[in-house]
Amino acid sequence: MSLGPDRTTFPVSTDAARSWRPPPRIASRSVRRALWAVAVLYAALAVFTVDVDLARVAEGLTRASDFFGGLLRPDFVTRWTDIRAGLVESLAMTLIATAAGFVLSIPLGLGASRNLAPAPIYAVCRSVLAVFRAFHEVLVAILFVAMFGFGAFAGVATLAVATVGFLGKLLAEAVEEIDPAPLEALTAAGSPGPSRIAFGVLPQVMPRILGLTLYRVDINFRESAIIGLVGAGGIGATLITAFARYEFESVSAILILMIAVLFVGEPLSGRLRRSVS
Amino acid sequence: MSDAAVLRVDDLVVGYASEGEVLRGLSFALEANEIVGLIGASGAGKSTLLRSVQRLVEPSSGSISLRGEELTTLGSTELRAARRRMGMIFQEHALVERLTVMENVLCGTLGRTGSWRAIRRRFDAEDVVDAFRLLDRMGLSGLEDRRCDELSGGQKQRVGIARALIQNPELLLVDEPTASLDPAASVRIMSLIAEVCAESGLAAIINLHDVGLARRFCPRILGLHEGRIVFDGPPRDLDDAVLTEIYGEEAVEPHVVGSRQDDVPRVD
Ligand SMILES: Nc1ncnc2c1ncn2[C@@H]1O[C@H](COP(=O)(O)OP(=O)(O)OP(=O)(O)O)[C@@H](O)[C@H]1O
Ligand SMILES: [Mg+2]
Repeated sequence: MSLGPDRTTFPVSTDAARSWRPPPRIASRSVRRALWAVAVLYAALAVFTVDVDLARVAEGLTRASDFFGGLLRPDFVTRWTDIRAGLVESLAMTLIATAAGFVLSIPLGLGASRNLAPAPIYAVCRSVLAVFRAFHEVLVAILFVAMFGFGAFAGVATLAVATVGFLGKLLAEAVEEIDPAPLEALTAAGSPGPSRIAFGVLPQVMPRILGLTLYRVDINFRESAIIGLVGAGGIGATLITAFARYEFESVSAILILMIAVLFVGEPLSGRLRRSVS
Repeated sequence: MSDAAVLRVDDLVVGYASEGEVLRGLSFALEANEIVGLIGASGAGKSTLLRSVQRLVEPSSGSISLRGEELTTLGSTELRAARRRMGMIFQEHALVERLTVMENVLCGTLGRTGSWRAIRRRFDAEDVVDAFRLLDRMGLSGLEDRRCDELSGGQKQRVGIARALIQNPELLLVDEPTASLDPAASVRIMSLIAEVCAESGLAAIINLHDVGLARRFCPRILGLHEGRIVFDGPPRDLDDAVLTEIYGEEAVEPHVVGSRQDDVPRVD
């Protein structure tokens, strides 16, 4: 059946169709006008309250040009020993923290699942996970540097805490969404609790959690550079030193190497993710 | 005390917090070797009955005994031991889809395998032999290492049956084993269940939507209506009057009696 020739003869009111407009998202005209007024006022205030010091901008521009000039001339050689040590330390911090975080997140994540844990354990685990996620890594790193001193240990502790908070919460959410039927079947067969978790719960959530863990490796590597800036070791420490010495050529080399590491890691973790699902 | 009954249910009352009472005082007994078909409209409480025998839902009153052992008062360790003696087969097979056929069958032995061994996949060699034998019996040999999400509905149901049988149960609790299968596959699965029950002298309660299948495979039928047993007898006593009582007026028109109740147009 062809629609073509019939379409024009079909007796609809074309006038109504032509004059149809989508209804406005905000129905009330006065509300719409008020919102516009607020937006204009806000923009005006934003422009006038930030006072821009033109002399300072000019000074910044020369420094910026130094900076970008340096970035265009990466220098891997002068500080190579420091850079290599920093990179290796960052990678080690990343792997150790991710592994430790993964292991710790499993009991906490299971304990924070409403469908498995009794109410008191649920409350405790949820709170621990909430506290672990409450502060940005930089704040946690500052705290751990104060506690454990400068260096990679504070960094590993920081990243591990962040990893537990991240994986634990997502594990709990995955566990709360599992298909309860297989678990009930295992209960009906008289299985003890640990076996029920090992066979009825973990197989349903593990592919997702392993995928998220690999993703977390990525995040932890990038974070290791940031927390290095506040003294928690790794490539970030090397980076801040290079900045402090205005060695923008070395900064450039470090940034390029970090990008390279993430580039190489990406297809690798992609392949691992596919093999676990 | 000697009790010939495998399962005895006495004045059982079960409710859900949100629903109120679903089973309102059920009593029946199941002899060894007996296969009972449990029929009733959707929501009559068939699944609830099976689940409360396993104490997956806690009864609010009444008694359930397995070969004379009272189940309603058992502590958690004894309850697990009692659950091992009852194999359950589920409507949607309730397999762990990401595990293999073999692993799913061996899940039926978790009640007697220590957790530490089970987690390291150190299953008893006898159990593995048993699992192979059962898979062969189910017509699934060669599929041991297949992941269950690659199987057809009928194959999954057979894995579910093998998982229940490897428990060496005294009683099978079967919840609508054919609900997701086509008519031919339904008959094959029901025959298989009837055969294995006969072979090992198992008693079984089988929830069925399909009155035709119940008539054909169950020498005794229990009819459930709104949480009460309104019929208990052989298929030949299951006449129009009884079916009306179980399913309501609309269900029993001449062409429907004894055929698939699923085909009945719903009037609600
Ligand atoms: N987990 C639950 N929580 C609350 N109410 C439930 C639960 N399971 C079942 N019910 C209610 O109990 C009643 C009986 O349900 P049940 O599943 O036992 O019926 P059924 O006879 O098996 O029905 P069907 O033939 O559709 O499987 C229904 O009203 C249902 O809504
Ligand atoms: Mg049901």
